[in-house]
Amino acid sequence: MAVDIRNVTKKREQRYSYGLTLLRDCIEKDRVLPRDEDIFKKTILKVEDITINFGGLNALTDVNLELRDGELLAIIGPNGAGKTTLLNVISGFYRPQQGDVYFQDKKITHYSSHRIAEMGICRTFQNIALYTGLSVIDNIIAGRHPHIRYNFLIGMLYFPWARREEARQRAISEDIVDFLEMEHVRNTTVGTLAYGLRKRAELGRALALEPRVLLLDEPMAGMNLDEKEDIARFIIDIHEFLSIPIVMIEHDMGVVMDIADRIAVLDFGLKIGDGTPEEIRKNPKVVSAYLGEE
Amino acid sequence: MELFLKSLMLGFASGGIYSLVAVSYVIIYKATRIFAFSQAGMLIIGAYVMWQCLIVWSLPIWLSILISLAIGAAIALIIERTCTRPLIGQPILAPIVVTLGIMLLFRGIGLLFWHGEVEGYGASFLPLGAWKIGFMSLPKIQAYGFIVCMVVIALLISFYKYTRTGLGMRVVHEDHLVAQNLGINVKRIFQFSWIFSCMVAVIAGMLLGNIQGVGLDLDANGLVAIAAVLFGGMESFGGAVIAGLAIGIIQIFVIQYLGALMPGEITMLVPFVFLLLILIIKPYGLFGLVRIERL
Amino acid sequence: MTINVDRPCGTFDRNYYQAMEIFRTPLRKFLMIAFIVVMYILGFIADDYILSLLIVFCAFSVGMTGLQIITGYAGQISLGHAAFMGVGMYTVATFQAHLGFNFWMALPLAGLFPMIIGMVFGIPAIRIKGLYLAFASLAAHFVIVYVISNWRSVTNGTDGMYLHRPETLLGIDFMIDKYYYLLVLTITIIMIYFAKNLTRTRLGRAFVAVRDNDIAAEVMGINIAHTKILAFGIGCFYAGIAGALGGGYYEYVNIEWFTLTDSIWYLGFLVVGGLGSIFGAIAGAVVWKSLDELSTLMTPVTEALMGGMAFYASAAFTLIFYSLIVIVVLVLEPRGINHRWQIMKRSYRLHPFPY
Repeated sequence: MAVDIRNVTKKREQRYSYGLTLLRDCIEKDRVLPRDEDIFKKTILKVEDITINFGGLNALTDVNLELRDGELLAIIGPNGAGKTTLLNVISGFYRPQQGDVYFQDKKITHYSSHRIAEMGICRTFQNIALYTGLSVIDNIIAGRHPHIRYNFLIGMLYFPWARREEARQRAISEDIVDFLEMEHVRNTTVGTLAYGLRKRAELGRALALEPRVLLLDEPMAGMNLDEKEDIARFIIDIHEFLSIPIVMIEHDMGVVMDIADRIAVLDFGLKIGDGTPEEIRKNPKVVSAYLGEE
Repeated sequence: MELFLKSLMLGFASGGIYSLVAVSYVIIYKATRIFAFSQAGMLIIGAYVMWQCLIVWSLPIWLSILISLAIGAAIALIIERTCTRPLIGQPILAPIVVTLGIMLLFRGIGLLFWHGEVEGYGASFLPLGAWKIGFMSLPKIQAYGFIVCMVVIALLISFYKYTRTGLGMRVVHEDHLVAQNLGINVKRIFQFSWIFSCMVAVIAGMLLGNIQGVGLDLDANGLVAIAAVLFGGMESFGGAVIAGLAIGIIQIFVIQYLGALMPGEITMLVPFVFLLLILIIKPYGLFGLVRIERL
Repeated sequence: MTINVDRPCGTFDRNYYQAMEIFRTPLRKFLMIAFIVVMYILGFIADDYILSLLIVFCAFSVGMTGLQIITGYAGQISLGHAAFMGVGMYTVATFQAHLGFNFWMALPLAGLFPMIIGMVFGIPAIRIKGLYLAFASLAAHFVIVYVISNWRSVTNGTDGMYLHRPETLLGIDFMIDKYYYLLVLTITIIMIYFAKNLTRTRLGRAFVAVRDNDIAAEVMGINIAHTKILAFGIGCFYAGIAGALGGGYYEYVNIEWFTLTDSIWYLGFLVVGGLGSIFGAIAGAVVWKSLDELSTLMTPVTEALMGGMAFYASAAFTLIFYSLIVIVVLVLEPRGINHRWQIMKRSYRLHPFPY
């Protein structure tokens, strides 16, 4: 098969002839930043001097973080270092005592969680937080919630355009199901699924929100090697195909070193390192705090 | 001034009983995380059984009390074993509906055996009459009732504080799994909690029967006590006691001073409007634990 | 491998519209239509006693569907549903008595008034959930009953009010029970169809999301405050319509019909029917009202059993019998009749094989 290497888009389309194309069209349609060679220089998400404590326990202290467009940033750190808290602050679930979060140069610190999600900061959770009573496909369509364009009265009366809109949303969601290779369980209630599939369904729900930034909280925790490879492949595919920046919390250093463009290290609520995998590997502070002394 | 003091006194008297009922809710809630609406129905049963023993069978007062408490304990064991134990781990709605069902079951039993007629203990339970203090009179029933309430609550709290079982119960309040791993028989603790709670409710029922008359409407007091539980913060004995007294006093004062402005019966309205205010302003009460939600 | 047992073998969806249909097989469509036709024919052949039963079934099915939306779908506990039904009845009665509205004009108001009140009492739901919400709705019950029984100039206090059925429409005289039943049945079918649509579209999924994991729902772009309050509003709208339909049948309304006990039965029989499905709501309502009828029929028996205390015996029998049913069902089969029905359907589909 002859592939024109110079035409990146075309190459991608051939590679991903399955799944996600509808979703990508949705995302491309109102992309704010242009897709050009310089995208890596644009900051899309910025966390500035975040401090948060829970009744005397300092969860985060003056943490700064920048996420540039199109980059895959991994956050590592020992348990209790404040990684999940940082994601919770970004998605508006916790209010920081000090500091601000900027998304596309807009201050979103005081926004409510659902507005932040509507803007395109989507995430998965460390402890799976799916809607257990719904099937996989319904979970994903429920994730489309902010993007469905009719109000509840139209839904109740089920006018033809509501029906068409439902079918459109279903098409996009089925696309995601295809991409995640979950066709065989699409009508199964998620409460009865195995752990790995539930993690995948959660990733699907986050994708359904048309992410501009994807926050993944330990997407590979508790998986075996095969499942880890699957998830890593999905993450890389999403990252390349949708060309969206991804923030990922992960403990598996092998995966992190392999797929991350940049790594930030947290320890006891402080950021102790930030850089490419090579730099992190050499950073003495990180080595002593996390990777262990040689 | 006289009205003020009289209201205060009445408020303390009914507030004491609300405290007692509130404590009976709190005992079960702390141990099992089930809010036992059934304790409102227990008031009816307690009052009627006492009346049956004391008036109909003319038993001596100590025996009547013992029988009532024993029946309360037996009912507690039955409820715990058959109704609430299978519900451990069920969604929150199941225990709510089941305990509400038990509340109505007790109402039905009261109706079946005692026909829902309002009865009284007369002079055979707590002494009638009143003490004269200066310009006002203090009814003995209410004074004794208040004292009994406080004594029962004090006994309970000291049981929790100073005995081995009480210590186990306090561990269970923190975490069921941890307690089980520490070798505490959690099921036994649940049983104990239900028994204590039902006994407390039976005592409260007797006192209420003495003041308001033995009847099916006693469960309204149980519903009022919910406001006290919430105000005190679901998990605190001290909070329940203080809030019970507060609810009693607020109720009486509003009825005395604003009752003329409002048409109809506001006995039930006052605590529940207060409850709504608490829910909006401070949903976890005065001494309740605020849990930080995690993702 | 998890096998999808929700669909019968051999039926495949060829497009997304097919996947979204309520009845996916021709047999089910036919059965549903046949059922509705039978219900309409019953209106012509049944006598007044059966008609009264059917009207009550229909009205309470609508009310129960409302509670299903609040509790079964959105997961918000409401202990004041009977009171909202009362508000619906009283809305019709007051607008007819004081402003001279006819039934047709009062019917939408009978939905909207409880809806607004329900949304107001749903506001605490933004901050609290579960048990706390049960308390809030308990308070709602007492406040509503207080207002209705003491606002004498408007509601006639505890004496009750008269209301009127609709006048003739297109030559149909609704004063005749038969035709009134057909009206009630039509409204019921429409309301239930709307409820079904609601639950399979955007807001319905948001309800379930809030029920299953409200924190995650908020972070995944669902405005939970908005959703919870809408759930209360829509549920109470249904309660109000149910009240209007029932009140229209009796042509009289009294606040003493709407006790806390009724609200508890509402919730109890909803669980008996099965949470989270429209079928469950209808089953719960039908079981509840059949038991009501049964206990009325049993009155002579209980009288004979209990001797001279018949009046108490009947009321006591109702209380004890109902509460035992609710308790036993909850303890033994917490997922209600609906779950049993699903199991039956499944074993029918898979017939020769156990699973």
